[in-house]
Amino acid sequence: MGMIYLMLIVSLCIAAFFLLFFLWATKNGQFDDDYTPSVRMLFEDEPKLKDE
Amino acid sequence: METCYHCGDELPNPSIHFDKKEFCCHGCSNVYALLNNHALKDFYQFERTPGNKPKKGRSDKYQFLDIPEIRERFIQFEDDHIVRVCLSLPSIHCTSCIYLLENLSKINSHVRSSQVHFAKKEATIVFQKDGFSLSELADLLQFIGYEPDFGRKSSAKGTKISFLLKIGLAGFAFGSIMLWSAPDYFGITLDNVSFRNFTAYLSFLVSLPVFLYSANEYYLSAYKAIRSRSINLDVPITLGIFALYAQSTFQIFTQQGPGYMDSFAGFIFFLLIGKWFQNRTYQSLSFDRDYSSYFPVAIHRLTEKGIEIIPIEQLKQGERIQVRNEEIIPCDSLLLSDEAQIDYSFVTGESEIITKKKGAFIYAGGKLTGMSIELQVKSETNRSHLTQLWNETKDKKEANPFVRYQDRISRYFLLILLLVALVSGIIWAFLDPNKIMMVIVSILIVACPCALALSSPFTLGNAMSVLGKNGLYLKNTNIVEALGEITTIVFDKTGTLTDPLAYRLEYSNSVMQDEDWRMLKELSSHSTHPLSKLIHSNLQEIATGIHMESFQEWKGKGIEGKLNGADYLLGSAKFTGVASTKWKNGSVYFTKNGELLQEVHFTSAFRTEIPEILQQLSDKKLFVLSGDDSKDLDKLVSLGFQAEHCFFHQEPKDKALFIEAKQASGEKVLMLGDGLNDVGALGMAHVGIALSEDMFRFTPSSDAILDAHHLRLLPQFFQVSKYAKSVLKICLAFSITYNLIGLSFAVSASLSPIVAAILMPISSITVVFLSTALIHFKYWRSI
Repeated sequence: MGMIYLMLIVSLCIAAFFLLFFLWATKNGQFDDDYTPSVRMLFEDEPKLKDE
Repeated sequence: METCYHCGDELPNPSIHFDKKEFCCHGCSNVYALLNNHALKDFYQFERTPGNKPKKGRSDKYQFLDIPEIRERFIQFEDDHIVRVCLSLPSIHCTSCIYLLENLSKINSHVRSSQVHFAKKEATIVFQKDGFSLSELADLLQFIGYEPDFGRKSSAKGTKISFLLKIGLAGFAFGSIMLWSAPDYFGITLDNVSFRNFTAYLSFLVSLPVFLYSANEYYLSAYKAIRSRSINLDVPITLGIFALYAQSTFQIFTQQGPGYMDSFAGFIFFLLIGKWFQNRTYQSLSFDRDYSSYFPVAIHRLTEKGIEIIPIEQLKQGERIQVRNEEIIPCDSLLLSDEAQIDYSFVTGESEIITKKKGAFIYAGGKLTGMSIELQVKSETNRSHLTQLWNETKDKKEANPFVRYQDRISRYFLLILLLVALVSGIIWAFLDPNKIMMVIVSILIVACPCALALSSPFTLGNAMSVLGKNGLYLKNTNIVEALGEITTIVFDKTGTLTDPLAYRLEYSNSVMQDEDWRMLKELSSHSTHPLSKLIHSNLQEIATGIHMESFQEWKGKGIEGKLNGADYLLGSAKFTGVASTKWKNGSVYFTKNGELLQEVHFTSAFRTEIPEILQQLSDKKLFVLSGDDSKDLDKLVSLGFQAEHCFFHQEPKDKALFIEAKQASGEKVLMLGDGLNDVGALGMAHVGIALSEDMFRFTPSSDAILDAHHLRLLPQFFQVSKYAKSVLKICLAFSITYNLIGLSFAVSASLSPIVAAILMPISSITVVFLSTALIHFKYWRSI
């Protein structure tokens, strides 16, 4: 039975971690712009030329 | 049709050849050359003809950005080496735009980095201070076709972080509580009392922040409604929340069971998601522009020392200022120059350009066309005639708010709810007095109108996005409902019924010699002035092939050409030296040896789709209010308006008063306008729609912005609104059915946490699914 208590607490902690993670992401602007990044990743990076 | 490789406009004849491509103007080919030189050819790979045609501007157009007070308004961050600015670039429209703007550093090495926010149409640009300035950055952006809009204030953040925190907390509590309630759902009752108590207390703890924080908007709204002696849907919701929470807490602390905490948290979670869905708005549009975004940011002030640039707020009465071609008159003032030609069409609705003489009083807001002038300031911008009008009508609408359908029915809902609770309380007093409290609380819990509260945001939100796809952008979802109730439509004439980009040409003298017609065509083809271009394209059937002996263009005045010894002039009255014969204003004159041959008159043409629209709107009363004189009355009647419904010489204030009078007689009025003269009327009407040729330029404050290319869909917009209303009713019927099922459990004193936990999400999800499916199924392709 003691195991269940432990698992409950652990699962709650994991959920709380995801809540904090969500808040951190929101504050950092992860959800500000939902279009531009999807286009940006398609742009070709030009091969970096070495300095002659 | 041959189109420009850069901007996609129709190619003129002759077009510009460069690098085996064809361009419509030097602006476009210059941008192409610039991109080519900096290995940014990919710009043309993502989309066909992605470019914006660069506008020509004076080289000192952005000089004002180097004035410290003005400069710091646009700067986000600055240290000794770099500056970060966030600029609004309304012409951002496609993938290639993002590519080009984010590679700005390749074009100019002073730019360190740039990042585009597509939805807001903004770019955040970091550049080196050393050898580069904000005005040079603005010049560069203008050169490549992205003219920054300095009048627009950076928009507020889309959704507030605190709101997302509320949703997150509720979701967290919902999921967690369901996890340890799962055994209950499957009918497994654990004998272990201490474990049951442990999870019950845990539920209480986790849902506490949901009760105190996540749901607080509902309490506040209900409190406000009750205090103003009205009922909105938040009142029964708050009642349900309190009953649910109190009952559960009581059960937990008396150790009778786990309570309804999972339902409670889930309930708040769904409600908040509905609210979030409803509040999604168009980030790149501003519906509430104030006068300051119409007027220029900076002014050229004349002092003894010469011309200096100052912010518009520092302008004082009595000072002298200079206004240049295409600039807006910033304040009510006296004209010191000899003559000024001012275009007031946006302010008063008068379509013709007005000529003022020295010493005349000039109202703010007009646009100068032609030579630059000197003015003496009579009153500062914020006290001008125009801004006062603006502020006057701004708050009138708030006094008469729109009552939403869901709030209207919530009155009955609450009444019936209380009645049911009372009756069942009385009945149970005879059956089993111990259960009275429990039954009443269960009724309040189960009747909590969660699905009801979700039907409206999802139905109207989906309808709003359908309208948005078709060119009508609404400020909020209430407008969807209001649209369906419209009985009267009032149109502005200039710019709304007429197309500001299309002109109709009239000739005073139709019996001109063939040689003279050909000369007129030849002369007009040699000028880049927009009016000569119009003449040239209007004379397509006239043969070409005349060789002039000499030819000269006088910038801003006219063109002169010689043929067979005769001297031909094409230009303004002043340039050609003749007096107008037929029309007062808006004409171009064509003379031969000083003798008037032809007067070409330009009038704006009505939009071609108007008759069709009017026919479809025959069930509504249609009016025209025009700031112009009645010269177009016959045309309006032929379009389909009734002559007694057309009013002319309407001052901005008259328009607002007209609408107020109509509303007083019980009409629901929609105002469709485009200019500043309509601001009062747009604010007064139940629904004020601003028509705009270019969505992201200045529009007067309004409830909705309609893309002028989609004007023909106006009748369909009403259909969408009516359909949304029917969908809303279907959803309400569904949610009330669920409430009735729940009530039957509650009244019979058999509502268990499991029933509540199943019923609530199912009803909410059905309603959300139903409203989304019904609306998008009908309008998934077009309206």
